Amino acid sequence: MEKNSKKTVEFKFERTIPAPTDEVFDGWLDPKIPGNPWNMAEKLLLNPKVDGFFYWLIKGNSHYGRFTEMERPSRIQHTWMSRSTSGEETTVTLTFKKQGGDTLMTLVHTGIPDTEAGRGHEKGWNHFLDIFPEQFGNSSRKEK
Amino acid sequence: MDHLTDALTAISHPTRRAIIGQLANGPARFLDIAKPFDTALNATTKHLKVLERAGLIERQKQGREVLISLRGEPLREVAGWVHEYERFWNERLDQFQQYFKAKKKKEKK
Repeated sequence: MEKNSKKTVEFKFERTIPAPTDEVFDGWLDPKIPGNPWNMAEKLLLNPKVDGFFYWLIKGNSHYGRFTEMERPSRIQHTWMSRSTSGEETTVTLTFKKQGGDTLMTLVHTGIPDTEAGRGHEKGWNHFLDIFPEQFGNSSRKEK
Repeated sequence: MDHLTDALTAISHPTRRAIIGQLANGPARFLDIAKPFDTALNATTKHLKVLERAGLIERQKQGREVLISLRGEPLREVAGWVHEYERFWNERLDQFQQYFKAKKKKEKK
């Protein structure tokens, strides 16, 4: 496969969570809470402290990473590698800010290898990609 | 243009998507591909060129015939990173937010 250019993209997401920051922070690291990356794993090894590693398997895809920052209850940072990062080490940073009785949670995923062209198109393609998952699956099997 | 842009351009036209859908069932000859479409053969040729540039199809000679088959890899690559990052985090964060909303509602009762 042709190697992607060195250009990277990043995604930023924000959510207001109706709970205090320490509860949201702890919830993000608790595999029992729905919605965090560790939930619904087929196999999970999780050591959420600085220089602790995680291994997370879902739908046959392995994900690896190392926690680089852990400041309860305001900030978590870890690396993230999977098949979809083309072997590159990407970075996920979470911040939790008190907003009255709620928490403004921000997730930034940086260093994802790709191109500006792809970034511009990302939203518009979701619909099309929904329609064709079987074709993707079939064609990938044929190539193996 | 890079190969991701080529792939996205290729799937931006309904006729080319239909050709991809057709070829997903197996390789086909040029005339078989062109048959379902109410367009000039010339137009089909142009569409196939766009698909070929994106690496989505390949031509193989079998005797006197040329068979055109689908290569799924460029599509899978596009789908892969869109799902992983844009959709994945949005879905996860929505679920996470929903969990706390439901919890708060329950506590109020």
